[in-house]
Amino acid sequence: MTNAADIIVVVDGTGGVLDPIAYEMLAFARRLNALAAGRVQMWVLGEASEGLAREAAREGGVDATALQCPGLSRYFSEAFIRILEPTLRAAAPAYVIAAHTSCGAEWAPAVAARLEAGCIGGIDGMGQEDGRIWFSKDRLGGKVKGRFVSDAATTVLTVQPGCFKFEGRPEGGGTGRVTRETITWESEQTRFSGVAPAPGGATSLTDATIIVAAGNGIGEEENLQWIHRLAERLPKAVVAGTRIVCDRGWLGYDRQVGVTGATVAPALYIACGISGASQHVMGMRGSGFVIAVNTDAQAPICAEADVCIAEDLRTFIPTVLEIYAKQLENEKGG
Amino acid sequence: MQLKTGRRGEASCVVGVPIFLQVIEMNILVCVKQVPDLEQMSIDCGSDGVPVIGEAAEFRMNRFDEFAVEAAVQLKEALTGVRIDVVSVGPEPALAVIKRAIGMGADQGVLLDTGDQPDAGPAEVARRIANHATSHRYDLIFTGSWSEDGMNGQVGPMAASLLNLPCATQVMALKLDEESRIAAVEREVEGGHRERLELRLPALIALQSGINHPRYPSLSNLLRANRQPVDIIAPSPDEKGIDPVVCLGLMRPPRTRAGRLLEGSLQAKAETFLSLLREKALIR
Repeated sequence: MTNAADIIVVVDGTGGVLDPIAYEMLAFARRLNALAAGRVQMWVLGEASEGLAREAAREGGVDATALQCPGLSRYFSEAFIRILEPTLRAAAPAYVIAAHTSCGAEWAPAVAARLEAGCIGGIDGMGQEDGRIWFSKDRLGGKVKGRFVSDAATTVLTVQPGCFKFEGRPEGGGTGRVTRETITWESEQTRFSGVAPAPGGATSLTDATIIVAAGNGIGEEENLQWIHRLAERLPKAVVAGTRIVCDRGWLGYDRQVGVTGATVAPALYIACGISGASQHVMGMRGSGFVIAVNTDAQAPICAEADVCIAEDLRTFIPTVLEIYAKQLENEKGG
Repeated sequence: MQLKTGRRGEASCVVGVPIFLQVIEMNILVCVKQVPDLEQMSIDCGSDGVPVIGEAAEFRMNRFDEFAVEAAVQLKEALTGVRIDVVSVGPEPALAVIKRAIGMGADQGVLLDTGDQPDAGPAEVARRIANHATSHRYDLIFTGSWSEDGMNGQVGPMAASLLNLPCATQVMALKLDEESRIAAVEREVEGGHRERLELRLPALIALQSGINHPRYPSLSNLLRANRQPVDIIAPSPDEKGIDPVVCLGLMRPPRTRAGRLLEGSLQAKAETFLSLLREKALIR
């Protein structure tokens, strides 16, 4: 690359739009730039990505390069690796920033391995200690976060969506410079053959006012009855689950909330036996009010909930239903 | 396209090597990891707010790797001439998960021992697996989507990259055409959509959880696993400590919401729960 930069934000522009994560990555890059000197630049990959690079330069005030790759109509790992490995090697930035999505989490470690770069994935925070910049990410099922540092000349970072807020163009900053580069590439080992919609299709999850969700902590399939019973009693309530509950076949994948499932924002989210791993939390963070029912008051879900109830759902939900039935009865009687 | 696989400067497999054998032989490598049972693990808050992780009471196979073993065993059952090697990078106790994989139907195991550095990072694990795979001819390498403890999901793409193999992660459907040597896969992406790809073998596939229902090990296979020796390979000096990423320390997840812990009896908590719903005008 002719325009070497110290922090390069790599954006997948194959979909023809700049996803919000593109600007979140830029926000992350600027925070990093406050700790690590250098220049921030954005690369937008796509078949015809110049329009998107212009948009990023205008809206984000960042110098943007359109890496126009003829025939790149959709992300797939071999294509991105073939395009990015040589270009990043030549640019030799201190940091490469990618989105921690199904795409970024796939190509970023692959490219890092070839560049002998460090790779830290799923980042949700950063800081500095004794002059070293650390990045935080989930460990141990989300029960703790690790603070990771990299000693490599180049470090590839993937940023968790929804964690870094974009505040617009820096004050006094104008539109960024836009450059364009055409990169020819060829895929030898992979053929992309289309996208199929999610099996099961759309569900009512996104329209529900209340979601009662079950996680691995419900223990046995038969305990799912309590989740169903609670949802039946509450108005406009539906049952959902975490990935593991769907993997076990206890609920269909159309009921899954999380990264590879639905993203929901009900007025009330009742998380039952859910530990709170980021893959799930990212799908429910927009909920109005969150109540967690979990035997483990230390579970990470409690940090994502407004109210935590440290009880076994097998006794808690029956008690709730019993009291609720009595209250309704009294109301009728009165 | 050739790729250096290590500081030794060897070249790895060259893409497009013609297959001369008429008999279909398929060698599969499945990568498994031993992880602590997180549900049995205590995490206390230290005096300075830093979490203190208790000794793990139990270890088991990473749940996501069970799907990888099952996928390989299903191929072995469906086709003739399939051989499954199972590899783990870890300390000696990780032999237990290799034996479990053999119990599920894998043929042979190898432990790439991490010795006095049990917590090897993804770059080191990927390098060890790639170096092992270079000296064997695998048609398919399977991994799980990520490990429950490390939560990185990097080993698969990194190992594929070092071996110059095509790679797909989050794979939810897999169909193999053994004659054309193409693996047709569907990878699950955001919102549950499925990207369809055709990978030319040899290839590395990271399987998404839920692609199959992992079986329990059979007694006869477990007996075989116990009799059968597992190769234990020590790291070469250039395989040790190569991951430039290290963990400085742990911290508690920051709170995004108040997380008010309800006090009182079961009855009192249930009543508060209902009054909260009433306050929010969600119930009468």
